[in-house]
Amino acid sequence: MLLQGHQLRDGCVQPGQQRVEIHKLRQGENLILGFSIGGGIDQDPSQNPFSEDKTDKGIYVTRVSEGGPAEIAGLQIGDKIMQVNGWDMTMVTHDQARKRLTKRSEEVVRLLVTRQSLQKAVQQSMLS
Amino acid sequence: MKGPFSSTAGRTAATKARLDTLCPEPPLQLASLPGTFLTLTSLSFLPMPGSHQDSGTVVGKGSLSQLPEGCNRSAEGRGQPLPSAHFFQDQGSSGRRNCGAAWCLSSTPPSGGVHKGRGSGGTKMQDRLHILEDLNMLYIRQMALSLEDTELQRKLDHEIRMREGACKLLAACSQREQALEATKSLLVCNSRILSYMGELQRRKEAQVLGKTGRRPSDSGPPAERSPCRGRVCISDLRIPLMWKDTEYFKNKDLHRWAVFLLLQLGEHIQDTEMILVDRTLTDISFQSNVLFTEAGPDFELRLELYGACVEEEGALAGAPKRLATKLSSSLGRSSGRRVRASLESAGGSGSSPILLPTPAVGGPRYHLLAHTTLTLAAVQDGFRTHDLTLTSHEENPAWLPLYGSVCCRLVAQPLCMTQPTASGTLRVQQAGELQDWARVHGVLKGTNLFCYRQPEDADTGEEPLFTIAINKETRVRAGELDHAAGQPFTLSISNRYGEDEVTHTLQTESRGALHSWMEALWQLFFDMSQWKQCCDEIMKIETPAPRKPPQVLAKQGSLYHEMAIEPLDDIAAVTDILAQREGTRLETPPPWLAMFTEQPALPTPCSPASVAPAPARTHPMPWGRPRTFSLDAVPPDHSPGASRSVAPLPQQPSPRSRGLFSKGPSRTWLQSPV
Repeated sequence: MLLQGHQLRDGCVQPGQQRVEIHKLRQGENLILGFSIGGGIDQDPSQNPFSEDKTDKGIYVTRVSEGGPAEIAGLQIGDKIMQVNGWDMTMVTHDQARKRLTKRSEEVVRLLVTRQSLQKAVQQSMLS
Repeated sequence: MKGPFSSTAGRTAATKARLDTLCPEPPLQLASLPGTFLTLTSLSFLPMPGSHQDSGTVVGKGSLSQLPEGCNRSAEGRGQPLPSAHFFQDQGSSGRRNCGAAWCLSSTPPSGGVHKGRGSGGTKMQDRLHILEDLNMLYIRQMALSLEDTELQRKLDHEIRMREGACKLLAACSQREQALEATKSLLVCNSRILSYMGELQRRKEAQVLGKTGRRPSDSGPPAERSPCRGRVCISDLRIPLMWKDTEYFKNKDLHRWAVFLLLQLGEHIQDTEMILVDRTLTDISFQSNVLFTEAGPDFELRLELYGACVEEEGALAGAPKRLATKLSSSLGRSSGRRVRASLESAGGSGSSPILLPTPAVGGPRYHLLAHTTLTLAAVQDGFRTHDLTLTSHEENPAWLPLYGSVCCRLVAQPLCMTQPTASGTLRVQQAGELQDWARVHGVLKGTNLFCYRQPEDADTGEEPLFTIAINKETRVRAGELDHAAGQPFTLSISNRYGEDEVTHTLQTESRGALHSWMEALWQLFFDMSQWKQCCDEIMKIETPAPRKPPQVLAKQGSLYHEMAIEPLDDIAAVTDILAQREGTRLETPPPWLAMFTEQPALPTPCSPASVAPAPARTHPMPWGRPRTFSLDAVPPDHSPGASRSVAPLPQQPSPRSRGLFSKGPSRTWLQSPV
């Protein structure tokens, strides 16, 4: 089983999901996280290279900067972001997603993500 | 004494339209009314002197041209009110109707009295004040027109429009930061209007005095030399605070104040940004640079610090009603006396602006906390501390524990230092070689006479051949000199360097040229004597950067968050957007409403369950773009069993094509860095 310690503690996290806590890095006037996102309900989901289901309009991590805050926190390319600091990210436009991640007043964002590898592991364990 | 700010929210379009039709009329031949203008603001409450009883008959005559004569007869230029005051002193409603007829020059006579259609529909007092205010504006405009001073008139009109915009904004805004900013704009507009009015009056006086035949050229000394103008800049303003312990604060809440500075030089008024102050600050520091052009060496820069107490949201809601009832019941002789007293003590410039004490529509009240006046003596190319005169005491809600001084950098650049005052061809006798005259192009600028090889060098930035210093100790003599015998039109410039005296002899082209050079030099000496320390060296002035939009108001969903407002922008644009925003809110109900109401929010007969619920928090949408709905998405399912990644989305027959949405299915898959 791939469940990790913190998942057992946190009752809200579903199997196959992971919490990632990113501390933003200050670069001049901006606070950056060090990754890129793709997707959104206003985007064309068939062009998403990371999703298993090509109608999935969720927000995916498309790039993680090396040595950036996201990488340090454990975010991986291809992760699907479900929530950011409690806000839902499965039913948002691209711009709304970007804005939820880049709020100037928040220095830490807590993401809830699902990962293909995790998903597969959970499914396999459920089938078995 | 600060009066509450007027709100023209009650004024209807009809009244405004009538006013506008009145203004473009050809200027009335109003005689000069020195000193009478400001009293217009307090007319309704002052008892009329007995001698004016008879001019009550003017009311019925219905022609405005009668007024000036009445004014001439009675106005002695010392606060005698205009006969028009009688219109309002008359308690009967007939008086008011008559006055309406008398004042209304346009073809549409007011039916049923001037105050018809006032939205506020309130007491006689309010109407009276509204009328007075309208007349104020009319009077101002007429005076400006009659002076044919287009620039001042234009500025005045601009300020009046800004003021109306600020009133509307104040009435419409809901958040206290917006209210603070709007009130501040209103205060600044009021001050500017008052100072322009004062300036107009002065000019009108001067014009009339000129006309009445006092010719200064006949008698008296010849025209005096006047010093050159200069630019005055004040920057890095800092006011230290002196927080003692909690004795000043009744409760543990973080009391906050909104403060800003109003700076006035002559008739120009400028303001700094508004800063929120609380106990964690040791000083109030303003970032703005305030620049005044057209200042004389005898300038008086008046600095006023205004503050308002920022209460919690709940308190503000209750304030308007309390304030309004309090004011409407107490407005009368007492406030009139106060107004009159403050006007008498106000003197000329820079007093706390009181346009009209009309009931406020609940806005924060700014109080004058401190003031000071800076003059040429305070100018220095560095930081200096000046004393502040504190004007509020502890009982005042907006009182702040000020230390009592202000630090700033006040610099002045007289024009004679930064711009060339004379230039022309000169022939200079090289010192030491008696017969060698060099032909140069001389440019007198600041405290130097630069001699260039050619006229073009001055512009291209080439180094001059040589430079002759001209300062307070320089001596200039015109005329023939011994060693320049036979050379006409010469002047000599002598400077003392320690023990030595160095004299340059210059020859000009003609007598006229010599005269104009001498004149320029005398003017320079005069300017130096007037501007004193400013002429020692050029003081640097940084161009004030355009004011950034208020950062503190960057709150999602607020008006300020959605766009940057430059203070100079037309507030009418802002109020339009505000109105549009309000309208938009009403027109587009959130889609989830369809689940609860009979009428479908969307014209499509889709089942409500397939409508994507809008996010609970509304994000500020750009105007004109309706929301993007996603009919074929599944509402977020919080049940365990993570079927999200394989969400079976029902394939609706392209509901988007029904024309509901402005955006079609997107063909992009954007990626954004965060």
